[in-house]
Amino acid sequence: MWTLTAEEIEAVWLSFRVGVVAVGLGLPLAILLGYLLARKSFPLKWLVETVADLPLVLPPVVTGYLLLVLLGPRGLVGSIFEEWLGWPIAFTWRGAAVASAVVSFPLMVRTLRVAFSEVDPRLELAARSLGAGRLDCFFSVTLPLARRGVIAATLLGFARSLGEFGATIMIAANIEGETRTIPLAIYSIANRPGGFENSWRLVIISILLACGALLISDRLERRRSRHESA
Amino acid sequence: MSLLDFACRHRFPGGFELNLAFTTDRRVTSLFGPSGSGKTSVLSMIAGFLPPQEGAVRLRDRLLTQVPQGVNVPPEKRRVGFVFQDHLLFPHLDVEQNLLFGAKRRQERTGRRIDLERVAQVLELIPLLSRRPKNLSGGERQRVAIGRALLSQPDLLLLDEPLASLDEALRGRVLSYVERVVEEWDLPTLFVSHDQASVRRLAEWVVVLNRGSLVTCGPPAEALAQPELFRWRAESGPINLLRVERVEAHAGGWRGFVGGQPLQLPQLDDPPGDSVFVQFPPSAVTLSRQDVAGLSARNHLRGEIRQMIEVPHGVFVAVDVGQILWSDVTPAAVAELNLQPGVEVYCLIKTVGLHVV
Repeated sequence: MWTLTAEEIEAVWLSFRVGVVAVGLGLPLAILLGYLLARKSFPLKWLVETVADLPLVLPPVVTGYLLLVLLGPRGLVGSIFEEWLGWPIAFTWRGAAVASAVVSFPLMVRTLRVAFSEVDPRLELAARSLGAGRLDCFFSVTLPLARRGVIAATLLGFARSLGEFGATIMIAANIEGETRTIPLAIYSIANRPGGFENSWRLVIISILLACGALLISDRLERRRSRHESA
Repeated sequence: MSLLDFACRHRFPGGFELNLAFTTDRRVTSLFGPSGSGKTSVLSMIAGFLPPQEGAVRLRDRLLTQVPQGVNVPPEKRRVGFVFQDHLLFPHLDVEQNLLFGAKRRQERTGRRIDLERVAQVLELIPLLSRRPKNLSGGERQRVAIGRALLSQPDLLLLDEPLASLDEALRGRVLSYVERVVEEWDLPTLFVSHDQASVRRLAEWVVVLNRGSLVTCGPPAEALAQPELFRWRAESGPINLLRVERVEAHAGGWRGFVGGQPLQLPQLDDPPGDSVFVQFPPSAVTLSRQDVAGLSARNHLRGEIRQMIEVPHGVFVAVDVGQILWSDVTPAAVAELNLQPGVEVYCLIKTVGLHVV
């Protein structure tokens, strides 16, 4: 009764893969945007902030719909990927990863923005005067000092990816072994006759994973504030 | 060709305007002025942190900034070392990594090599190398910051109030480290201060500024003797700083010599070095036309009045006792004693009023 079925193992494994790829796609861009929002002022900054935050408040189904328009077989970007690279996005695990990346993006940007704004910009000036160029300075001073924020953002993004449902089902559908992540598997199993009682194993795994991610990122956050005040 | 040419104009959003031009050839130059006079902005412009709206900065034969012609060398290419008021060590690196941060990035440079071993020796950093900045005291942090800037092989060292964040006991010590550094590497240095004592001790050339513009510039004895300075009486007014030589034990205490005249020093916890600096305010100096006996003031330094500056409610009298010292007396006393330049006077100073630094 405690052992997972093949379908459940498949869902957990797929969720991990999708989560890792989603964070891998979103994190570099989130770091760049978080840094720009924390440090620079530029025209139309408010618009960039709004667009970056949009997936946070938009119904995930709407996000998924928009992604399908863009990345579907006849979409502007999707057709390029399918024809030129032979990588269809819609209705594959790649679509699930993109959906998770987009939905978790605002969470990562927000966490990173706070982390970068807590790094004293004069430390960057000190590094520059010691001979470090902009990029060098970012990688040897700014990023290491914001590392707890980077880890927290990674965990939050990963946890949010594991929970993605609405956008995923729109762009990637619910294909067993291909796009059926933990939430989709719970939904599918629960809708079978007598399946509701059988969903509990995946429900518990979901809860444990979410709690774990939150606990670790919370601990990092708290250690950072204690570190600052020390 | 001069060492440093600076001529910049910049209007800040708050309305403050910096409009300053100066040039220096000396090894150690001080920017002196009250808080908010624009000293730090000048350093930021030289370091390339703040491009001026108009003007030019030239370091020897290198043009660093020329606006609006579009010359603006980025900070990392200026070879200008910057020591900040609050040290700004990298908290994620230990002392050695902090020291080597600049050194690693300037490896390719030949010419004068400032190496880690010597810097750690001169600044006494060897026992600290593996520590993190948060486990250092204020004075230690400032020494590491100076060492870090040195190791980036700068052509010019900028010190932004390096003593301001330290308590008084530490200031003298860090100051003597700065002196050692300047001696050891013969490094051109520009340092910002609003403390006359450190300026007089260190600087060979002083640029005095107030509210973003030049008041005067010249050697310390002249530049700091401008009547305009004394408007800042409370914060950065004149303070006496005498170099006392041949310090020796005498009558249960310590005695040294200023211009050949003996000076009794206060009780000290540690035996002083061969020469020390003593600091005391002009108000601690009483003037007399005769050498009077039977006074409690232990020190009677004979000298000649060089200069007198009238300020509201007082007169500052500069007396040459081998070195210049200032006395703050009332206009009535000036009239009664008939004080004027060229007159010989005795400066009576209570030993307990002396502060050894």
